[in-house]
Amino acid sequence: MKNLLEHMGIDPGRLHFSWISSAESTKFVDVAKKVTEEAASLGSKEKKYMKTKPKVA
Amino acid sequence: MKVIQIKPSELDAGLEKLESACRLIGPVKEKSYHLFKTLEPDQKPDLAYINTRLSAKSVLYPQSEVMFEFSLDKNDDQYAILKEPEKDRTPRAVIGIRPCDADAYEVCRRNFDTEEYKDPYWLKNYEATTLVGLACSNPCPTCFCTSAGSGPFSDRNLDILLVDNGDGYLARIITDKGEKLAASAGWNTEAGSDAEAAIEKKCGEAESKIKSSVAADNLEKHSLIDLYEAESAIWEPEGFACINCGTCTYACPTCWCFDVQDETYGKSGVRMRNWDSCMYPLFSLHASGHNPRDTKIARVRQRFMHKLKYYVDKYEKGIQCTGCGRCVRLCPVSIDIRRVCNKMNSYDPETCRCEVASG
Amino acid sequence: MTTYTQKIREISKRLLQEGRVDMVIGFARGSVPMINQPAFATHSADADRFVWDGNCGINLANYVTGRQETIGIVAKGCDARNLAVHIVENKIRRDQLYIIGVPCMGMTDRHKLTAAVAGEIESVDEDESGKTVTVSGDGFSETFNRAEMLQENCMLCMHRNPVLFDEMIADPVPEQTDEDIDRYGAVRRVENMNPEEKWDYFDDLLSDCIRCYACRNACPLCYCPTCFVDESKPQWVGKSIDPADIRIFHFLRAYHCAGRCTDCGACVRSCPMGINVRALTKKLEKDCLEYFGWEAGLTTEQRPPLDTYKPDDPEQFIK
Repeated sequence: MKNLLEHMGIDPGRLHFSWISSAESTKFVDVAKKVTEEAASLGSKEKKYMKTKPKVA
Repeated sequence: MKVIQIKPSELDAGLEKLESACRLIGPVKEKSYHLFKTLEPDQKPDLAYINTRLSAKSVLYPQSEVMFEFSLDKNDDQYAILKEPEKDRTPRAVIGIRPCDADAYEVCRRNFDTEEYKDPYWLKNYEATTLVGLACSNPCPTCFCTSAGSGPFSDRNLDILLVDNGDGYLARIITDKGEKLAASAGWNTEAGSDAEAAIEKKCGEAESKIKSSVAADNLEKHSLIDLYEAESAIWEPEGFACINCGTCTYACPTCWCFDVQDETYGKSGVRMRNWDSCMYPLFSLHASGHNPRDTKIARVRQRFMHKLKYYVDKYEKGIQCTGCGRCVRLCPVSIDIRRVCNKMNSYDPETCRCEVASG
Repeated sequence: MTTYTQKIREISKRLLQEGRVDMVIGFARGSVPMINQPAFATHSADADRFVWDGNCGINLANYVTGRQETIGIVAKGCDARNLAVHIVENKIRRDQLYIIGVPCMGMTDRHKLTAAVAGEIESVDEDESGKTVTVSGDGFSETFNRAEMLQENCMLCMHRNPVLFDEMIADPVPEQTDEDIDRYGAVRRVENMNPEEKWDYFDDLLSDCIRCYACRNACPLCYCPTCFVDESKPQWVGKSIDPADIRIFHFLRAYHCAGRCTDCGACVRSCPMGINVRALTKKLEKDCLEYFGWEAGLTTEQRPPLDTYKPDDPEQFIK
């Protein structure tokens, strides 16, 4: 899945897969922080990933 | 009705003049096929085209169309109020629409413009549009317009009919709208007195090139229930191959069904309508979970019964088809409305047989 | 090709007469050139409808899903592989099927042929040896090398002969190997792009999609009772022609086919807009081969890699 997402043009820096047990709350916090920081560092110009309101014809 | 002669150079010059007066829509080639698009400045419609892959339906009735906008911001004093957005209703002209597609507008109009209900979106677009048709001199093997209430030179629903006469076009001016458009394009050279005869001659030639047809004369006489119950003669053999994709309905110039959807984007949203297809199970799925058309055979039957029986009975204006042949060409499994129509037309409920064999 | 047709009719008649099967599924001549129609016969007389030529590109495995009858089915290499996938996934039982195997030299590409000539194609003929294909219409007739007019997936096919069959209609045809063809050249070209270029490539690829779902519905793998795009409680995907929604549909559909797709090309063949949907599934096929040494539909003994777990499954991407 990661490969296909990257294949379609999603920046690899925006993809992250982790195995986190329900007992590992601190790991979850750490991973979430790291992922958001990494994605933020890539900038927000890539609005293309988001769906936008359709144009009114 | 008068006929005007337009030389190739005059056509281009006229289109340039029109560009400033209205939005021009025409057939253009993208990738490997033609489609109708609003022309860019200086872009010319490709009038050498045979036909567009999809019909001109989308010109008046886009696949996805915003109906309302709303705010989801509770602090907004317009919160959750549906509001109609400003839409571009300025005049536009379709240059080079084929007669079958224009006649399809007449079919759609029976649905969108009734005593009881008027569809504002379709109607306002229709009223703002001038239709400059292009007569078909080289119909395709899949065309059967002449037996489907249309024809290669049918101008019943056009404002102007262009006929290629080798050296430019003869233009038959049909309506006031057409007259106005021709005036603002500066097309005013009246053609000679033999022009009408020339058009008629070309029309006869084009009609004789149409090799396929449908027989629809018995459809009205047939009992609806008989046709509906013709499973073994019609629906099972015809429906077997169907994969239930929406190609036929989306390519069709007369399929008008849509689905209304709300979509939200952060703190605002829209209510839109999108083309829908009776080929999809979701089309008839009830909120209870029950689906009255839960098999593909039932959905195939619905499509053809609607076009060739329910519509015929309801409007008494023939079949809901103008013979453009797009569904025949694009169906991935070669389900052919001509064969289905001929089967329905020749169905004998006594013997449960049709005169037309399966493919 | 006419000997193929004769043989298919002969076998179908025999099976129906003997009562070996309840129905035979094959192809009948379509009403327009280049598109044959999946058709069935329940009486031996109906079997005369069956034909075989280069326009049988739809995958017939799609027509047996969930059926209860015993079925004789005409199957080229990819159809037979998809029947194997069906058997593994319990969509049909092996003992319900009598597979009439057809060695296949590939199906012609209707989009390519249409683009290759100026006029409207009215008929297509293939010579008996299968070397050339001639298309004719009003005032023209052109002959092409058949091998050059095949669907791309057929050009890259490594399993032309059915791997699963009860009876073959002819001797096997020669198989292609990795030395003859570069199966994944097109995938590598995209892999070598940067993310921006990749995004634009798929934007352009999918820009024509009208969401008719022909690709999904022609696909034998897409047999879910309700596809995720048709779910309404909750609704996962928007219904308009928004590019993001279109991309999600194609991405997820492709992903659902990972390790199951046989690259039969039915999706591309059925697309009315001629979109090469295989650009997605071919990448997954390549990954499955590289990571798991897996090609779909070659055996009924093994489950596909994505629904089994092995301790040595690659997992470098999980951090």
